[in-house]
Amino acid sequence: MRRRALAGFAAAGLALSAVPFFGLPAFYESFLYLVFHWIVLAVSWNILSGYSGYFSFGHGAFFGAGMYTTATLATKAGVPFLWTLPAAALVAAAFGIALGAVVFRLPRLRGELFALLTLAVTFVLATIVLNTPIDGGPGLVLSAVPLPAIGPSPSSTFYLLGLALALATLWIAREIQRSKLGTGLFAIHDDEDVAEVLGVPTYRYKLAAFGVSCGLAGVAGGIQAMFISYVTVGETFSIAVPLYVVLMSVLGGSRHWFGPAVGAAVVTALLYAFTASDYAVAGRAAVGMILILVILFLPEGIFGQAVRALDRRRVSAAPAIDAADLPAPAAAAPGKGEGKTLLEARGLSKAFHGVQALAGVDLEVRRGEILGLVGPNGSGKSTLINVVSGHFRPDSGRILFEGRNLAALQAHRIARTGLARTYQIPRPFAHLSVLENVALPAMFGRDALPRAEAEREARRWLAFTGLAAKATALPGELNLHQRKFLELARALASRPGLLLLDEVFSGLTHAEIDDAIRLIRAIRAQGATIVFVEHVIRAVMELTDRIVVLSYGRVIAQGDPRAVMSEPDVVAAYLGKPHA
Amino acid sequence: MTTLNSPMALPSLTLLGQSLLSGLFIGALYGLLGLGLSLCWGMLRQINLAHFALAFLGAYLTYQLAGAGMDPLATLAVVVPCFFALGVLMHWVFARFSVSAFNSLLVTFGLTAIIEALIQWIWTADFRRMESAYGEVKFRVGALYVGLPELLTLGMAVALSLLTWVWLRYTYSGKAMRAIAEDAPIAAAFGVNVRGLSLMLSGLSAAFAGVAGLCLALSYTLAPGQIYAWLGVVFAAVMLGGLGNPLGPLVAGIVIGVSEALTMAFTAPAWAPLVSFSLLIVVLLARPERI
Amino acid sequence: MPGANRSILAGFGALFALGLAAQSALAAPSGTPVRIGSTLALTGPLAATGLVHKIVGELYVEELNRKNGLLGRPVEWVLKDDQSRPDLARTLYEQLITVDKVDLIMGPYATANILSAMGVAQRYNKVLIHHTFGTPSLAKYDMQFPTGGLAGDPDNTIPKLVFDALAASAKPPKSVAVVTSKFPSVHFISLGAREAAKKRGLREAAFLEWDFGNRDFGPIAARLKDAKPDFVWVGGLGLEGNLLIDAMRKIDYMPPLHFHLFPAPGPLLKAPGGENALAATTFEEHPPFTDNPVAVEFIRLYHERAAKAGLPDTSVENQSAISYSSWQTLEAAVTGAKSIDDKAIAQWLKKNPVDAIVGRLRWDGPFNYIYGTDLYKVKQNQNGKWVVIWPKEFTAPGARLITP
Repeated sequence: MRRRALAGFAAAGLALSAVPFFGLPAFYESFLYLVFHWIVLAVSWNILSGYSGYFSFGHGAFFGAGMYTTATLATKAGVPFLWTLPAAALVAAAFGIALGAVVFRLPRLRGELFALLTLAVTFVLATIVLNTPIDGGPGLVLSAVPLPAIGPSPSSTFYLLGLALALATLWIAREIQRSKLGTGLFAIHDDEDVAEVLGVPTYRYKLAAFGVSCGLAGVAGGIQAMFISYVTVGETFSIAVPLYVVLMSVLGGSRHWFGPAVGAAVVTALLYAFTASDYAVAGRAAVGMILILVILFLPEGIFGQAVRALDRRRVSAAPAIDAADLPAPAAAAPGKGEGKTLLEARGLSKAFHGVQALAGVDLEVRRGEILGLVGPNGSGKSTLINVVSGHFRPDSGRILFEGRNLAALQAHRIARTGLARTYQIPRPFAHLSVLENVALPAMFGRDALPRAEAEREARRWLAFTGLAAKATALPGELNLHQRKFLELARALASRPGLLLLDEVFSGLTHAEIDDAIRLIRAIRAQGATIVFVEHVIRAVMELTDRIVVLSYGRVIAQGDPRAVMSEPDVVAAYLGKPHA
Repeated sequence: MTTLNSPMALPSLTLLGQSLLSGLFIGALYGLLGLGLSLCWGMLRQINLAHFALAFLGAYLTYQLAGAGMDPLATLAVVVPCFFALGVLMHWVFARFSVSAFNSLLVTFGLTAIIEALIQWIWTADFRRMESAYGEVKFRVGALYVGLPELLTLGMAVALSLLTWVWLRYTYSGKAMRAIAEDAPIAAAFGVNVRGLSLMLSGLSAAFAGVAGLCLALSYTLAPGQIYAWLGVVFAAVMLGGLGNPLGPLVAGIVIGVSEALTMAFTAPAWAPLVSFSLLIVVLLARPERI
Repeated sequence: MPGANRSILAGFGALFALGLAAQSALAAPSGTPVRIGSTLALTGPLAATGLVHKIVGELYVEELNRKNGLLGRPVEWVLKDDQSRPDLARTLYEQLITVDKVDLIMGPYATANILSAMGVAQRYNKVLIHHTFGTPSLAKYDMQFPTGGLAGDPDNTIPKLVFDALAASAKPPKSVAVVTSKFPSVHFISLGAREAAKKRGLREAAFLEWDFGNRDFGPIAARLKDAKPDFVWVGGLGLEGNLLIDAMRKIDYMPPLHFHLFPAPGPLLKAPGGENALAATTFEEHPPFTDNPVAVEFIRLYHERAAKAGLPDTSVENQSAISYSSWQTLEAAVTGAKSIDDKAIAQWLKKNPVDAIVGRLRWDGPFNYIYGTDLYKVKQNQNGKWVVIWPKEFTAPGARLITP
């Protein structure tokens, strides 16, 4: 697959780089250069913003950083033009990474706040460039900078530079989309917290994507500086670049590496379609009309819609799951060290806005057991799961899991130690197929399987949970029961040593609960250790070896389920103390 | 830095007061331009770029009607109902094609291009300036001056923002609207007329653009290219103010306007964007809950 | 010397009129058309002025074809819309030269776009006649010919012109405030004005720069009010001057004298507070400029076309006049060189001046600019009309600088 793609890229590159030698009028080369230029900007923007959903409105700033780096080095330091390009990439990438290093640490700066921040950064950068010797007002002129003769003419040189960069950008975007990084980014797009808990190092991934995205925009800026040969603050940092890259990506389809390239080509071509003076104004209206009609009838974008149509055809041809591939060997080797402590919590505390959700919880989970975590609403059960899985950091206390203190680890590192969880309300990645949802934790869990193996593993767990037929569906097409099982399959696919189940049974019908109980027994039969939070007492009694009762963030009882449930403290906690 | 070497006396209190007022007024215009944008974005998940084009279309209509002898304020009687209908129609199309937030950006960009072309076709690309009696009226408060057009802008921005706030907070339909913004299907399940209210909000937002247009026409010289000039700063005010929060754009707009004006009053004016937007970045980093 | 200029203009006008009469007797042009390509900002932020240049170009080409065309051949103007964007301008000029294969090119509108076109012209050895290039020091191509009337050093000549005009007035200013946009082609001239004021011993009451695209001029107006200068130099582009005047009026302040570098002339003329504003120009609709019958005919035609195009202001002033002059230059050069060969045209232009309606254009200085001399005059908005008030030999009949 990859070799074929590489061959395809090479062939396209070779064929396209022959264009200047056919004696085509220079205009076509320049026009195509501009197409390539916008392809680079739109595709690079998409690497962060399309894949991960971090909508940047500051692409102009990084593009501008590249432009001014090249312009400054080439005119003031006499650096040869081509050598300024790596510098342009570095400056833009460093700028992006420095910004990201601060911003990505603040989990609330998502969505429109991230867009606002990047927009504000653009204004700030423009003002600094305008008022310091970097520019100071008059602009920088590159007319005297020698252009290396890569092609037979200057316009063909730009064409070839643009082509090379566009192909490189597309290749990078494709590789990222198909790599673990891409999978992680798409997961971040749908639900960043869940991605982190499933083992995706979200901070590093966002930073990497931002760095690559900015670096590519920087090189595009460097070449563009030479192309227009007169760099001014007003033109460079205008709202046009961020606006156009967004429009191009949306028009082409932002969920595929190639989509923005299609959008960029279409928009640039439209720009030139109506330059005849007599129709300039009508042309503008026509461009507007075309954009509206295209997106109304192709809401996934031109390329996105095409990909989807293709996918649908492929789905109908997908092979049925092979029955021989069914239930897998152990999640954790059974029998080994049964009864020994697997996880130990000591003095766990966590408060939210003054409400003490956990008040010094001590807890022990033994290898191979099913531990029930029960207690009335607000007793701290879900908080405990959230703290153990790294969703929240505890205010104090330790969590030892196989000898490591989880309290000090980031959530994705906890996932890699072999701990998995489900959510009470299923939180599948809405835009990933059921199969992709389940394959993701296998790629990011303890064993960090390569994609093909992860998908095989995922298919096993889908068959195990009875979802095999839904592998290519989107989670939105599943009913609640199936979504609960998807949640379960996703947790199992990472082959966890310890499984934390948060109210798997809530909202299910009687028959569905029976199903689920069978399933959990099967999981345990394979040797997994399970902690589950539950309200459905029937399930607790049938499944658990031991229960722990929480009330007001403290453990008030633990031991054999039947014995514990009849303790007066527990009864009081559940039913309230009788009024005296 | 440039003021240091010029032999200028210490900035006077009048300068301070006048600059504060200037920032307040321009901030109010940011807020007025941002109000409809914020409501549509926050509650209907539609990012309406065409809001700026609509405001300019409103300004040109006001210019045209005032040129025909109408009182500029009276033009609202024509512009507001027309724009309300336009907004309703727009949302009808959005709903009919279930346009997503991202896609709405593209659709409304297309619409912007069409409106821009329309304006250029009718009024040419040349500058137009509405002449009105209002432009000449100003009041003196101590050593400070306040122009009537600016006062009208501030008044309308405050009135519309407050009225919207009251509507959303205290009336049944307003609460229903907020329920729609939270979760439209659930609101519908509780018997809220999602479709009708959404159409109304979109109409209202467009009508606000028409009012903003009047204010633009009162204070500014118009040209089709100016449509894009307000985009960046108004978007910043909308996002800073919190999407769907009717008081947000006004407050955020005034914060930006005043901080820029004070910078211009006391340092080199060219540094103004640096101060206001650095301030904004610091606010975001230190307190992401917004202002 | 001063008085001579006017008679030269008049004399040439008469000659031209004779020529016109002679030509109209000739047969209509025939053969393959001479194709002239250019772009203009017909949409986007610069479109307001782009439209003026379009009207003038169309009018001129039509007139050419009604006469004898160029060298007896009809003329076709291939005009494209560069959407006010330099990158588009560059590519469109390549399209004009390499795809449309036009014979000659004319410049687009405004500095950045002209610079883009100049790079293309240089690569294909085309003559580039252009009218609105604001930063002469960037024009490093020996076949580019500016017709906008600027000197090679406008940062010296324009401030000198303005301060000379002020010095000769009844009440010369003693203090000056220089306020300016940081737009490249405006900024450096404003810096020149600051130097010039210093050299003349004027007190600098304030020096303020703003970011191009600034919307709030209130604080700048308030600072000017505090500084109380006798004269304000406004380095504004387009509407910026208007915005500043509006802001000053709102706080009940107007400086005694204010000069605007590159204003939007129509709006400034009509703006309340624009009374007595000063600006630079090369041409206005009054004698001595209208002593030239060619200019008179142009004014008549322009009024007609501008009204038909729906422009609010139909009078001929700087932009339309330099636009007309650029076409006059092209016609004179092709006729003089008897060729549409770019080299021949360039050679002819370097040796021969052209008497355009804005005055005598010459290109025998470095990079075809003349240092220390330009065609600019100072005009003042008097009773809703622009009238030239300096230098003396170009002043409107009976006009002089009004100082409050």
